[in-house]
Amino acid sequence: MKNKNSKIFWIMIIPTFIPVILLTYIPILKGFIIAFQNYNLFNLSNVHFIGFKNFRAVFSDTNFNFLRILLNTFLWVAISLFFQFVLGFGLALLLKKPFKGRGIYSGLVFYPWALSGFAIGLVWSWMFNGQFGMINDILKRVGLIHQNIGFLSDPKYALISVMITNIWYGIPFFAIMLLAALQSVPIELYEAAEIDGAGYLRKLFNITIPYIKPTIINTTLLRAIWIMNFPEIIYAMTSGGPANSTNILATQMINKIYNFYDYGQGSAIGLVIMAILLTYAIIYLKVTSLKELEL
Amino acid sequence: MKKLVIVLVSIFLLVSVVSFSAKVTLNFIEVLTSPGRTALLKKIISDFEALHPNIRINLISPPYEQADQKATLMLNTNQPLDIVEVRDYTVKQFVNNKKLLNLESYLASWPGSKTLLPIAWQAARTVNNTAYMVPQEFYIKALFYRTDVLKKLGVNYVPKTMTELFELCKEITDPSKNQYGFSFRGKAWEFKFSDLISTSFLDDIDINNIYKKTDGKPYFNDPRAIQGLKLYIRFFKETAPKDAINWGFNEQVNAFVSGTAPFLIQDPDTVGLVDKMLGRDKYMVAPIPVGPSGKAYLDYGFAGLSIPSYSKHKKEAWEFIKYISSPSVNAYFCKNYGPLPVHSVTYKTNPYFSTGVYTAWAYMMEHPEKYVFAKYLLSSPKWPGWPQIHQADMQSLLLGKVSIEKVVNKWAKYWQ
Amino acid sequence: MKIITRFSKILALTLYLIFALIPLYWIIITSLKGPKEIYTFPIKYLPTSISLESYKHLFKFTNFAIYFRNSLIVSLSASFGALLITMFGGYAVSRYNFRFKKYMLLALFFTQMVPTFMVMVPLYTIFSKVGMVNKLTTLAILYTNMMIPFSAIMAKGFFDRIPISLEEAALIDGCSRLQALFKIVIPLTLPGLSAIFSFSFVNTWNELFLAVMFMNSDVKMTIPVALNSFISKAGIGWDLMSAGLVIALLPTMVVFAFAQRYIVAGLTRGAVKG
Repeated sequence: MKNKNSKIFWIMIIPTFIPVILLTYIPILKGFIIAFQNYNLFNLSNVHFIGFKNFRAVFSDTNFNFLRILLNTFLWVAISLFFQFVLGFGLALLLKKPFKGRGIYSGLVFYPWALSGFAIGLVWSWMFNGQFGMINDILKRVGLIHQNIGFLSDPKYALISVMITNIWYGIPFFAIMLLAALQSVPIELYEAAEIDGAGYLRKLFNITIPYIKPTIINTTLLRAIWIMNFPEIIYAMTSGGPANSTNILATQMINKIYNFYDYGQGSAIGLVIMAILLTYAIIYLKVTSLKELEL
Repeated sequence: MKKLVIVLVSIFLLVSVVSFSAKVTLNFIEVLTSPGRTALLKKIISDFEALHPNIRINLISPPYEQADQKATLMLNTNQPLDIVEVRDYTVKQFVNNKKLLNLESYLASWPGSKTLLPIAWQAARTVNNTAYMVPQEFYIKALFYRTDVLKKLGVNYVPKTMTELFELCKEITDPSKNQYGFSFRGKAWEFKFSDLISTSFLDDIDINNIYKKTDGKPYFNDPRAIQGLKLYIRFFKETAPKDAINWGFNEQVNAFVSGTAPFLIQDPDTVGLVDKMLGRDKYMVAPIPVGPSGKAYLDYGFAGLSIPSYSKHKKEAWEFIKYISSPSVNAYFCKNYGPLPVHSVTYKTNPYFSTGVYTAWAYMMEHPEKYVFAKYLLSSPKWPGWPQIHQADMQSLLLGKVSIEKVVNKWAKYWQ
Repeated sequence: MKIITRFSKILALTLYLIFALIPLYWIIITSLKGPKEIYTFPIKYLPTSISLESYKHLFKFTNFAIYFRNSLIVSLSASFGALLITMFGGYAVSRYNFRFKKYMLLALFFTQMVPTFMVMVPLYTIFSKVGMVNKLTTLAILYTNMMIPFSAIMAKGFFDRIPISLEEAALIDGCSRLQALFKIVIPLTLPGLSAIFSFSFVNTWNELFLAVMFMNSDVKMTIPVALNSFISKAGIGWDLMSAGLVIALLPTMVVFAFAQRYIVAGLTRGAVKG
């Protein structure tokens, strides 16, 4: 449509962008500046520009190995996202056809979505507790294990345990979004395919997935961004430990700000997060040949 | 002319009456928040308000985990605050940023300051040897033990030395029965526990900086200290469950209350919690076992109240601080919340703090030849973040990922 | 063959249900155990007696009813606010072609990558300078802003699926642009809009960090802050925490039940591109 009523257009669009500019972009600018300053709450009388020193300090931190943090971040995002998506898609497919009690059933499986990240972290860390946790208790009663497993205290299991929690939390998001998209696939397409004798899997891959592809791409893209910026679960469960084994960029950023009072290095990590996400988003959209976001 | 004078005088009187009776509202932020403590503070505040009808106090109670950050942010942006709770960890930072009022002259004119404990004066003057706060409570560690569990296990003595404690813990540990000895601390300020054990192997710690010896060198890589650290690791490997590497305060207390580990080293505010979960007939508290040196170096945690330098109601704020810091109110507060009171007179006159479980603390304070109070270097710029660095290193050490020598040399270098 | 499919479907549904429900079951029985029984070992999976003590404590010793009201006010106004604003914004971006369209969308999208912690202190400084700290209005404004980018992107997506021909017909019939929007486009995208609304509600209902920093007085606290304050130096008070979590879950379930009708029962039937 052409720009005939440009006045109406501006009236419509301004309320969306004014708050975003004032309350997101201006603060980001400030955060951007802090990343290049010696900005430590321990002594605010000594704030001055120090170039890339904060970034160098973060990259070469001998106490918190940066490569390890990057690897953890990658695993945390990739594995959580993969299982959230696959299990969420599976659930959406199961719920697609109406059955008796579907409304109540979906309410009961979707509720994790309504909890807050930190509450989830607390509840699961109690359940995973190596000494008093119910998961160890049940596994022992059933006879699957004889010695308690240190789900959160053994570096072998800690990252897996926090990822299980995150997957549990994320399944409903994909199930809801994909279910909504699945409802919009015209039945006629399936009917035509059935006449051709297509089986379930062929219908899934030839009709369903291509049809809801934009939704899949956008939800996975957004979700990846959110997971990367989602420190609450890890913070509540292990606060990055034991011995750095669950530390990701987002938790390390909180660590620098809350414990070291170092807003300079914290903001530097924030910029690293944003740079990685921006690169990822551009590549992802190029590879999936989706020019524009639409959900 | 006469009329004018009368008018002026009456206006003056009216104004002064109005300004006198005008209510002042003070904003008071606490940081060691817990539901019970907040209720207690509210009770004290309402008692104070009844005595001072022209002062109203508005208590701000942010959640414990975010409280220090919030207090920092509010002070740095000069938010209307008149009384601020300051901790051992935050006092330096607030003074650096010129946010706290020098309280020396206030303290000098306050009779209550006469009975403050020597460590209370030290705590008040943590930074620049100037009093920026009035301490309200102390946290000193002691050894909690389960009388009922130990009786069942046939133990009839309380360990007096670290080695004895270890041997006993090892003896009663039986993983197949889920019975362990020591309620180990593996994360979140675990250095307070490992330092306690390590330093007890030395007798020449600098009391003004617990991380150095009197010769000015860091204590960590002293051969005696390495023996101490090895003992701490043995506590983990031989007397505690593997999960203890991830134990903070909560898990420690749970292990103690459930009987899994009948020995616990903790602060006096744990008393109230254990009373509630267990009852006082099932446990007792003993002095900290001493090390091979015959000594133990105790650190004291503390919190107190300050007035922001920019407060508009300094006089009224001091009125309240004077009230809450008085020996009787302070004793009432500590009795109901748990930590140690700040006035020497309280220990003499209030039997609650010299009998029962509190005997242990009284004993430690009366035996300076065995129990030496030493300070952490809270005012060092290296302090912020040190707990996290230590935790990561300690966990690697407990997991056997690095050698003791490497870690102690790293710590020594950090605190050189 | 059919029986096997049916059986495996039921099995899968059951497994999903168990996985989802275990933590909820754990929270609920903890909240019903009463403060004394919570930490007993060995663990009890069925409370010996049901005790409502934790719930009583929650409402007696904290202002939980007030926190609940505050959360409700803030979340509802922010979700409605963001929806209203982005309904127009999303529509404009969807229907008009203009030079910076692509960059505007990217600018919205980019905000999703910004860590909250990076903007917290600058935001606080701005609001404290104009004396807007400790106001529920401020929190509502911040939350509205927090939900605008996602809502706008979503709304644009939903509007894109409505064929333009429908509105053009209405315009020819003499409708104004706004009339066309309200009479034709919005009814058709109602399912999508209610999905946006419920998503915003859940996110703002659970927001913790901004609420902690911006609210001071007890009577202005929201539920996440209250829940967080059950964690003290002496660990987590699970009696109050579990009861609070159960109560906090109720409104989101109501909102969800309302939104679900649209989402599950079929998104945009009829004249929809897909």
